Amino acid sequence: MTDNLFRGQLVHLAADEPEVLAKVSSRWAQDSEYFRLLDSEPPILWSEKKHKEWIEKELEKDSSDNFGFMIHKNDDNAVLGFIALFALNWNHGDTLVAIALGERDHWGKGYGTDAMRIMLRYAFQELNLHRVGLLVFEYNPRAIRSYEKAGFQPEGRIRGMMRREGRRWDWLMMGILRSEWLQLQQESG
Amino acid sequence: MADLLSGKLVRLTAEEPKTLAEAYSRWSHDSEYWRLETSDCARQFSVWGIQKELEKELEKESENNFFFHIRTLADDRLIGNVGLDGVRWQHGESFVGIGLGEREFWGRGYGTDAMRVILRYAFQELNLRRVSLDVFEYNPRAVRSYEKAGFRHEGYARGYLLREGRRWDLIFMGILRQDWLALPTEDR
Repeated sequence: MTDNLFRGQLVHLAADEPEVLAKVSSRWAQDSEYFRLLDSEPPILWSEKKHKEWIEKELEKDSSDNFGFMIHKNDDNAVLGFIALFALNWNHGDTLVAIALGERDHWGKGYGTDAMRIMLRYAFQELNLHRVGLLVFEYNPRAIRSYEKAGFQPEGRIRGMMRREGRRWDWLMMGILRSEWLQLQQESG
Repeated sequence: MADLLSGKLVRLTAEEPKTLAEAYSRWSHDSEYWRLETSDCARQFSVWGIQKELEKELEKESENNFFFHIRTLADDRLIGNVGLDGVRWQHGESFVGIGLGEREFWGRGYGTDAMRVILRYAFQELNLRRVSLDVFEYNPRAVRSYEKAGFRHEGYARGYLLREGRRWDLIFMGILRQDWLALPTEDR
């Protein structure tokens, strides 16, 4: 058996602790660029208390199709972001994944890719799913490159789905199939 | 009378939710432990979440469940749990479950000792006729421990689990009162 499913080369995944997550989330949300890479909603700022209450309510919901984790750095255990499977369909073996790194000084250094690789191993090896999909905004090439490195293929685009900074942008759909993931594992030995 | 709840290496205890929440959260972050313990997909408990669950769980009173924690006699470390889960009094039968969250105590006789204590409790105190368990094919260390405690192989559910790209059997084991009585005294 894989010694620890939740551990990668740079980061590990751990359960959401409402107190910890509320603290970092309220700080990250102050960074409007982070927010606009993550979400199409207009940025809203919540207090740490409101974040905590919202997170606790979310975590109390039925969790059979919702798998969320915090991303911790291996060397100093600092929280860098979060990653979650959502909209999981057990009957089809299909899910969406979302990831965000709130700590800017850790962007573009492989931490997100490493976290995504852990999540894909979990999705294919532990949940035995068939496909993992995601949506990413056209203006986020760093994320797109990271997803490609993790093995995602482009699947399509939703044209002009959003309007920001005076122009319209597409949403890109990407996905990775179980067979593609297995192939990657073989190639990387 | 001898202490019913102590063995040679461990004793069975009740624990406070706060102590357990810290331990259970930590153990759940070890996916190998989890996969030996349950067929549910590996999950990680937050301290916050598991403490809330435990407080609810430990409040329940039941005449059908006898749940204990395991501490070492040598240095009083909390290393796992063991319980008779779902005693059916009319049949004199129960399922037993055991787990050691602290890896450094694996394969050193602590689990076998705890199992011997709970079997003595089941047969000597509750006067049951039979204790059952199931275990995953990829857990030979546990199978050997159950054999040492007196369990016999009874059957298996073929290809019950899909893990690491292949299917694994679920093995059924059981021990009858007369099997237990026939064990050498020092083994029960």
